[in-house]
Amino acid sequence: MNAAEELKALLPGSVISTGLQLNKPMAVIKKEDLLKAAGKAKDIGFDHLSVITGIDYKDHFEVIYNFFSYSKKQNLALKVNLDHDKPEVETLTSLWNGADWLERETFDLVGIKFIGHPNLIRILLPDGWNGHPLRKDYDMNTEQFVTIGENGDDVVSPDGTNLLRRK
Amino acid sequence: MESDELFINMGPVHPSTHGVARFKLRMDGENIKECTPVIGYLHRGTEKIGEMKTYLQFIPYTDRLDYISAFPNNYAFVKAVEELAGIEVPLRAEYIRVLTMELNRIINHIVSIGSLLMDLGAATMIMWGFRERENALQLFEMLCGARMTFNYIKPGGVREDIPDGFMPKLNEFLKDMEKRIDDYEQLINGNEIFHMRMKNIGVINAKDAVNYGWTGPTLRGSGVDYDLRKYEPYSIYPDLDFKVCVRNEGDSYARFIVRMDEMKESLHILRQVVDNMPASKEISSAEYGIAPMTGTPTGVSTYFPRIFTPPAGEVYSRIEAPKGELGFYVVSDGTTKPYRVKIRSPSFCNLTAIPSLVKGLKIGDLIAAFGTIDVVLGDVDR
Repeated sequence: MNAAEELKALLPGSVISTGLQLNKPMAVIKKEDLLKAAGKAKDIGFDHLSVITGIDYKDHFEVIYNFFSYSKKQNLALKVNLDHDKPEVETLTSLWNGADWLERETFDLVGIKFIGHPNLIRILLPDGWNGHPLRKDYDMNTEQFVTIGENGDDVVSPDGTNLLRRK
Repeated sequence: MESDELFINMGPVHPSTHGVARFKLRMDGENIKECTPVIGYLHRGTEKIGEMKTYLQFIPYTDRLDYISAFPNNYAFVKAVEELAGIEVPLRAEYIRVLTMELNRIINHIVSIGSLLMDLGAATMIMWGFRERENALQLFEMLCGARMTFNYIKPGGVREDIPDGFMPKLNEFLKDMEKRIDDYEQLINGNEIFHMRMKNIGVINAKDAVNYGWTGPTLRGSGVDYDLRKYEPYSIYPDLDFKVCVRNEGDSYARFIVRMDEMKESLHILRQVVDNMPASKEISSAEYGIAPMTGTPTGVSTYFPRIFTPPAGEVYSRIEAPKGELGFYVVSDGTTKPYRVKIRSPSFCNLTAIPSLVKGLKIGDLIAAFGTIDVVLGDVDR
């Protein structure tokens, strides 16, 4: 029995299906039960949250959490499917401090909202940036201009009026 | 006595931030009350570029993530693609890959330790370190023509075979390096000022380090005995004899010592690779073969088809890069371009812990703690 099946046996109501992510066990979780399932995974030894990946499939979003257990030396992946209109899922920051930046990055680039995150702001792109670049409908042809404002924070404008050389 | 709060902006352009990281510091006198890192100044949208390039075209972009150690970046992405497409790699190619990656680990740690010492005010180490790094870069140049951005590891093998004259030069380097590491230890390890700056600074216990998602030498400095090369082995690492370097203190000094010890282990690995290098000339999967190419050291180059479509699927593949766990999450939809490339970079995840690590310390200690986490901003911002 691999880790995904073990999780299904513990939480039969929350795990929709189990399978393989090429060679790693993976469980698809109901989106409203993610925090519960992740907490259970942590209880059975999966203490390392390796990565959070958000993928835009045009009709829905997928968020994949890759875990690893230092004690068992096993991998586990959890996946949730989110509506395209309302990509929201619970945050895991209460369980892993490392989830903080990973979730902010996923919010920044893919536009997934993590409910309950203490500081859900952009991390790689400046505040005020329009759109989420890793969405498939992101407009690559629109220019956005970034300068550093008076207090050191970034200022974004769509027309470049805040650039010194354009004045 | 209460003093007024002071706001200090450290970076984005500051000699000790190794690039363009910015720390917003709220200070109480000399002590840091709150540290807020601001990153993203070097964001180039590598993951978006990944969706727009073919698998082969994306390999050079991985060089630019962690530009101090580009071979492991190449390999991590190529390993993901190989797992996805089920490509077999000949043994000689794997040996060459491990050779390049371990050499790269040594020079990564040299740069890491050198710049740490320079930030602390001791300029000798970086001068010494760059002298040895130059020799290693010349070896890379012989191998693939580039010094920092290699584009050398390809799905199925490596781009070119080892040129004549490479092995003697490598042996010379290994012999020299052994003495040099002793020199470094004599220079640094016993220095009292260095001990005062490093010991009990930026302490993190094993539980918190795991909770923050730390990996690599930083995690091993906190007493977690974990190394992907040992416990989730890939390539030829199962056949090699090496030990995982662990320290239990969890402070800056422990992380520094782990890096020193890892250099010695890498030398040990390299000697085994040199001794056991297979004599066959197979450097690429038989499926793709090699083709004549002018201008390369050996006159041939690995052939790899431009139209390459791995079967639809997704894979998360990770390796032990010099800075920690480097992972690539690649989703293929059966076309020539990846549907999604997600990069799990060690620098980004290790930097997460810096606000809690430096709380209550002084600015000079922030530099020591930040230096031992060993980030490259190209890897943080992607």
